[in-house]
Amino acid sequence: MVEAIPCSRIQIVEAVDDYQAAITLAAKPLLEEGFIETPYIQAMLDALETHGPYIVLADHFALPHARPSEAVKQTGLSLLLVREAVDVKTNPVHVFIVLAAKDDHAHIKVLGGLAEFLMEPQNIQDIIAASTRDDVHTLLKERWTLT
Amino acid sequence: MKILAVCGFGVGSSLILKMTITKALKELGLDAEVVNTDITDAKSYRADAIFTSPQFVSDLTGSVKATLYPINKYSDKEEVKQQLKTLFNQN
Repeated sequence: MVEAIPCSRIQIVEAVDDYQAAITLAAKPLLEEGFIETPYIQAMLDALETHGPYIVLADHFALPHARPSEAVKQTGLSLLLVREAVDVKTNPVHVFIVLAAKDDHAHIKVLGGLAEFLMEPQNIQDIIAASTRDDVHTLLKERWTLT
Repeated sequence: MKILAVCGFGVGSSLILKMTITKALKELGLDAEVVNTDITDAKSYRADAIFTSPQFVSDLTGSVKATLYPINKYSDKEEVKQQLKTLFNQN
């Protein structure tokens, strides 16, 4: 993986109806590029209902994902920035990164970089403040270290 | 000292939490083994402490010997540090 999230998988929108709509939209580039099939989106939504909102890993940030399954064809990530905060079970979220993991291992390196990225709260603030998806893309490339 | 980081599937969030715990331990100058797993395996895993979401803390209460520490935001290093301080002061 040369970069965590290519520009084609970054979206910015003003607002969405609810967190279900946010997660579905956030996953759209992965669906269109053939990384996932539609059941994976439902699996992510079901996981949130069953297990609660622990995917809100940091303030204003969520990592929707589900277990590796047949519905994941390739490991990848996509990002959605919503200008108006989305209520994820009482947590306001602006940045959604969908994780599709094909197996238990392929994504570990990329998540290491994400863990470091998320531990610095300013990074999420800067994504929220970005004006274009190119800005988001550049920011990720500069600060999300791939090992 | 063995700490278990737990989420629903053991592939994404618990891995992030494991990395936050590892970083927090290092900054506090503490040492522990950190392993991540899913909620099902957590019940049969031998560990001294389990770090997980408040909902999973409720699910695991009564079915594990390890002490449970709720973490609201898995990437919040300060929250994790507070729980680590509690854990290490009790042992």
